Amino acid sequence: MTNIKPVYREIENIIGSDYVTDKDFMKAAYARNVDPAFPDRWADIIVRPSSASEVSDIVKIANKYKISIVPRGGGADLVGGAATEGGILIDLTRMNNIININETDFYCEVECGITWGALLSQLYSKDLTTGVLGPGSGFSATIGGALSNSTAGFGSTKYGLVPDICLGVEAILPDPKGTIIKTGAAANKYAKPFCRYGVAPDFTGLFMGDVGTMGIKTKAYLRLFPNSPYKVQRNYILNKDNYETVFKLMHILQKEIKDGLHDLYINPRVVVQLLASQAERKPPKRAKISGPVFMFILEAFEERILDVYIEQVHKIMTKNNIARTFEWQEIDLNLELAKDWNFNFKFPYSYFNQFVTLAPGKISCTTCHKIPISVIDDKKKSNTNFDNENRANFPAQSFSLFARSIHLLPNGHCIFAGGFNAENIDEQRETAMNMWHKKLHHQVKYGGVHYWLGEAISQSIVEADAYTPEFIQFFKDIKKIVDPNFLLSPNKFHMYSYEDDISKYIIKDEN
Amino acid sequence: MSKLGNDLLQCIACGDCREATDFTSDPQKWGVCVARDHTPGFEPYFGRGKMQIIRSLWQGKLELSKDMAEVLYQCPTCNACAEACAYDIDNVTFYEALRAELIDADCGLEAHIPMNKAMMELLNPYERDNKQKKEWFQKLDFKVKDASSEKAETLYFVGCTAALTPDINPIAISTAKVLDKLGIDFSVFGEHEICCGSVGKRTGNLEAFNSVAIRNYELFKKSGVNTIITSCAGCYRTLKIDYADFIEDLGIIVLHTIEYIKKILYEKNIDLKNFGITVTYHDPCHTGRNSGLTPLYDEPREILKKIATLVEMQTIKENAKCCGAGGGVKKGFPELALEIAKSRIIEAQETGAEYLVSICPFCYRNLSDAIKALNSNLKMVDLMELLNQALV
Repeated sequence: MTNIKPVYREIENIIGSDYVTDKDFMKAAYARNVDPAFPDRWADIIVRPSSASEVSDIVKIANKYKISIVPRGGGADLVGGAATEGGILIDLTRMNNIININETDFYCEVECGITWGALLSQLYSKDLTTGVLGPGSGFSATIGGALSNSTAGFGSTKYGLVPDICLGVEAILPDPKGTIIKTGAAANKYAKPFCRYGVAPDFTGLFMGDVGTMGIKTKAYLRLFPNSPYKVQRNYILNKDNYETVFKLMHILQKEIKDGLHDLYINPRVVVQLLASQAERKPPKRAKISGPVFMFILEAFEERILDVYIEQVHKIMTKNNIARTFEWQEIDLNLELAKDWNFNFKFPYSYFNQFVTLAPGKISCTTCHKIPISVIDDKKKSNTNFDNENRANFPAQSFSLFARSIHLLPNGHCIFAGGFNAENIDEQRETAMNMWHKKLHHQVKYGGVHYWLGEAISQSIVEADAYTPEFIQFFKDIKKIVDPNFLLSPNKFHMYSYEDDISKYIIKDEN
Repeated sequence: MSKLGNDLLQCIACGDCREATDFTSDPQKWGVCVARDHTPGFEPYFGRGKMQIIRSLWQGKLELSKDMAEVLYQCPTCNACAEACAYDIDNVTFYEALRAELIDADCGLEAHIPMNKAMMELLNPYERDNKQKKEWFQKLDFKVKDASSEKAETLYFVGCTAALTPDINPIAISTAKVLDKLGIDFSVFGEHEICCGSVGKRTGNLEAFNSVAIRNYELFKKSGVNTIITSCAGCYRTLKIDYADFIEDLGIIVLHTIEYIKKILYEKNIDLKNFGITVTYHDPCHTGRNSGLTPLYDEPREILKKIATLVEMQTIKENAKCCGAGGGVKKGFPELALEIAKSRIIEAQETGAEYLVSICPFCYRNLSDAIKALNSNLKMVDLMELLNQALV
């Protein structure tokens, strides 16, 4: 076991005594994220650096003493990403400055510890946006965390995932020198960080969705877009609970609405029924929930263009009586009418609160994953069959759904944002964790592609035997170059050392 | 704390209480936790970390300690975290319960001991002879009824800060003058006034709080008072919310002087003089976020707009940044209280206003200290002082 005291002293010399701690109550405060399926995990040392050079120095010390490092942004992760048992936990939220917003060339340079809410507040005041607004936890989630988890969020239907807007990063490699590198155009020391490709192979990609395993991101260069002044919400409910219809509509909408579609979220019928049952102010007459609800956010730069999009959406959705307009007040009088809806940050950053845990205090085991839209119906059935077949194995009184919402992404795929809940008690934790992994295996095996992998999901992908041996070796070889002592974010992807054979974690016969 | 057990699990640790910045909200939100902004900023310095510590204690994974107290008391209990919370958790309830447990375990702050002891023994936390609470009367040119021996419709509960701090006496004096000008039949307890106990409640010293609360109950009962008004936000919150169980059977209504007087001004259609000055307004936490279901955001503003030009700060109303004095921070961590207040003064300066107005003597005190520390040209004034001059 590493002797922590000298590590602490050396870090204290770098960063000052105010920003390093090893007190028990501090460790307890950092013991988890939004992931009560996991037990509490206490780091040995917690640090809050203020600069890339401090991070680099901490990495050098970690290499000297062979002590693991886990970076942490907002700590809003749902999958055990930013907590660690032992080792150094690096809290990057002190590095939260906006370095430059280039309004002319539409890009910005930020420190990765800044939250989406803070960045977008500055951008919106200049009529700019990042397009994709970051994850649903954007008031506390950081740019760095979203890049590490390849997250989606509001705006993703049009603008894609968070890595799609990333032009490059500054990252500290976990090697003995704590090497600081820049990627994208910034790799050319004569260039501004205005684009991603063309200087070298796309090493930015190495740090996208890496779950903190390849480097510690300290700065990000992000694409910016003009912020559309006109955004509206419109809702439709299908007259039948038919997911082949859902797919066909998604396809047509992508073809014919395209740039007008800021977001398309689909709430399954059972979710709408659940929300109706929990409504604070129920309408006097119970609404008929005939099918899933399509929630559109449409945007345009001119009002007349927005009107065209609204008209087109209406035409598509009501053709052949497939759907009718829907108001959320049909289930809860406290919710606003679509005509009264105004876009604000509380909408995207509180939207998922109701879904993370339908009843606060539960363990939420999220299984958000991407699938092609053409297989929506098939995968819905597959998930539902899985839930039914495994009913007895889920924790008592847990609630599992194939998706709490379906989010359309560019290029014909979508996210099934789902999972299940369990009681937040120690007795259910192990059962919840086992079922979580099992459900993830099922989804991986039908070709689902998850994100925000953290520990739970990255390990489940390995267990499901998704990777070829060649891919695993490639992954290890690349990681060994950047992290020769295997210190950064261990445990993810069931990687505990370079010598360890990952294939032993493959679960061959689940049933 | 054990009674709050299951409610603890409402906290999913999303971290919105750290810094929810929102340009699009109305009013705008520019951060949440003032303590975190001015401390090393580890998780326990803001809401989420505290909730995780409380959970760990509740689950037997952690023990109380003085080191823990040293960090956890660096919180003015402004409840901005509760305001940011998506799950409607009343964070301060948990923090106060934790502080009570820290004190029971002899882990409370040393700096708080003298003031809580004084509160019980001398009936004020300033370690002064309580008789000094009648000294401000001498600056009035009319007699004020003694609530301990004379009946009146309304009791004016002055509060220890305004009564005992010479620089802040003008709040009490102005209030009395305004009430007199409006022909209100009121009384004060003067030297018999007992501290509301806010200091004890916020710092977790329930023995101190309960001792004064019980005595105040007896005092109020004996006086037969129906309405209590106070010009101190801290006393307002304590009497209205923390005393609710104590005085429920007495049927007493508790109002801030501003909400009481505003009603009278409007009912009697009383004109106010406009000074032609520019002011900005600081929302005290205890008349805002911590005041229950009916925060006093509009009442002071409606009065101010009649007597001056009001220019708002960047953070106002439910998103107003705390002055930094509350929760025992002024006594326990005076430098932290001052740094937080300095940030608020910088915010006020950015409005270009000449005057900074508030309705809490404790905010007045801490913000005045910050004005002095920054050599600012801003002038601190309580709304009652302006009202006194504005009543023609």
